[in-house]
Amino acid sequence: MFPTPIQKQSMAAQVSYQALLPLALIMWLLPLIAVALFSIRPLADFTNGNYWGMPSSFEFFENYGKVFFESDMPRYLWNSVLITVPTVIGAVALSCMTGFALGIYRFRGNLLIFFMFIAGNFVPFQILMVPVRDLTVSIGLYDTKLGLVLFHVAFQTGFCTLFMRNFIRALPHELIEAARVEGVAEWRIFWFVVLPLMRPAIAALSVLIFTFIWNDYFWAVVLTQGPGAQPVTAGITSFNSQFVAQYHLMSAGSIVAALPPVAMFFLMQRHFIAGLTLGAVK
Amino acid sequence: MHPALQGLLTIVIGVGACLSYFWASNQFLDRVLFPAKGPNAGRNINRANMIRPWLFLFPALFALSLYLAYPVFETIRLSLTDRVTQPDGTTVYHFVGLGNYIQMSGDPKFWEALWNNMLWLIVVPAMSTAFGLLAAQLTDRISWGNLAKSLIFMPMAISFVGAAVIWKLIYDARPPDAAQIGVLNAIYVSLTGNDPQQWLTVPFWNNFLLMVVLVWIQTGFAMVILSAALRGIPEETIEAAIVDGANPFQIFFKIKVPQIMPTIMVVWTTITLVVLKIFDIVFAMTNGQWGTQVLANYMFNQLFVTRDWGVGSASAMVIMLLVTPILVWNVRQARKEMR
Repeated sequence: MFPTPIQKQSMAAQVSYQALLPLALIMWLLPLIAVALFSIRPLADFTNGNYWGMPSSFEFFENYGKVFFESDMPRYLWNSVLITVPTVIGAVALSCMTGFALGIYRFRGNLLIFFMFIAGNFVPFQILMVPVRDLTVSIGLYDTKLGLVLFHVAFQTGFCTLFMRNFIRALPHELIEAARVEGVAEWRIFWFVVLPLMRPAIAALSVLIFTFIWNDYFWAVVLTQGPGAQPVTAGITSFNSQFVAQYHLMSAGSIVAALPPVAMFFLMQRHFIAGLTLGAVK
Repeated sequence: MHPALQGLLTIVIGVGACLSYFWASNQFLDRVLFPAKGPNAGRNINRANMIRPWLFLFPALFALSLYLAYPVFETIRLSLTDRVTQPDGTTVYHFVGLGNYIQMSGDPKFWEALWNNMLWLIVVPAMSTAFGLLAAQLTDRISWGNLAKSLIFMPMAISFVGAAVIWKLIYDARPPDAAQIGVLNAIYVSLTGNDPQQWLTVPFWNNFLLMVVLVWIQTGFAMVILSAALRGIPEETIEAAIVDGANPFQIFFKIKVPQIMPTIMVVWTTITLVVLKIFDIVFAMTNGQWGTQVLANYMFNQLFVTRDWGVGSASAMVIMLLVTPILVWNVRQARKEMR
């Protein structure tokens, strides 16, 4: 059996392996660890140059309290929620339908549309910037959350459709045939037969899209300005210019901004990885 | 909780509209337009089934043509025109042919951006895939491997901007005598005793410092995909190699890697696509100063700082051109799978 379990190898190999790997991991996470440590230091530590020693006091509640109650951070976070959740729901709902159509039906143009979806998936988003901005301004949705949501739904539908189609293709076709023979209407087949089977795909896709949208920065800068509609990714840069040189608050802000997708990832790890694997391999 | 209610209402209306569209359009097709009864029942069923896929496709196609297809062509048009604001405040577009492209090719900043993009293209996918493969292989052999994987993967969940903000702090420099807040300078000064460096202004090498951020993020992605592929390798091939006396390195490079080559290619192209569009990291860390310009950030500058829409659109077309080979390759690959 290979790989040989590490326990069966020589003592020296075992020790070095078990010791070096955690060391490498700590190096890997060093940036995060450093920022987390900064975020609980008092301001005095930074003026005294005590960056790496023992903190003179632990100001966890003080610093994070400032981020939550004396800055625009909660508004940015809330904007992010209001942008991300409707986008996830909209994109997944749309792509269930398109995925069903492309995966189940044989009709003229099926392949052509499928290839168009693949191609659309690769279009760099920069090329869309000016027209989409003009479009959003002209329908009066510039600097609104709705404008961002509409665009994100449309743009993500391409990827989601590919994902869903490939998943539906892998479902046993006999189930659908059987339902048709029984005389079940097509929309009932979609709703009662296929949709329940798609639950794992829907979960995986939702988690994936949630992180994509939450972490989007480009469109947040292009389509919004100011704390009225900007999500947290754009907010973090304004937050940092507001608290420039106050490293304890900047660090706490960065942690707060990064936390939701990281928490999502740890809670939904299984779905997340399933989503990435399904999305990439096909 | 006014905005919360508003958001909830939007969701309810959106989903409600989706569902009622889906239900009503199918009902209309089956009951009114082509009912499956009467003298033409058979023909009607066939017709209804020809139309039905388009009912499912319509909302997505509409959204995509509005927000994807139309903007692509509009950008092509913009890249061939100059936008002129007339004295009375109206804007007109003058057709200038390839003028914007010629103007762009005379701009040294553009060539710098293109050159840097090439550097990113060579370094980042290779490093991310290599690190990912290494991490996947090493963590497979220990009991707490899954925990280690989660930790390596964690940067992937952080936004590019969030990561850029964090790494900016890592590269920060203080005056020589002061204590160093940047991790890199703290280590550098204590190891070599030299003066701290303004890392992000060191020409040429600062590009690599920016790439490190992306490699840091993408390694987790590569690791997850490759680790799944490594587990899918048939055990017999490895056993056979062991019986034949292959050493672990030979097993890894001659048995395992060739078998997961298709997956490596997928990971490579996926990361390549991310790299071609790289914007957030450069924008947040250097904004293209000190010789770190990349195409996407160059375009952003042309549009929002120089306010030259023609050249901005032209540089977007260059990015599109660079993506096209990967696009074509993927579509052909998909077609091959169909047959």
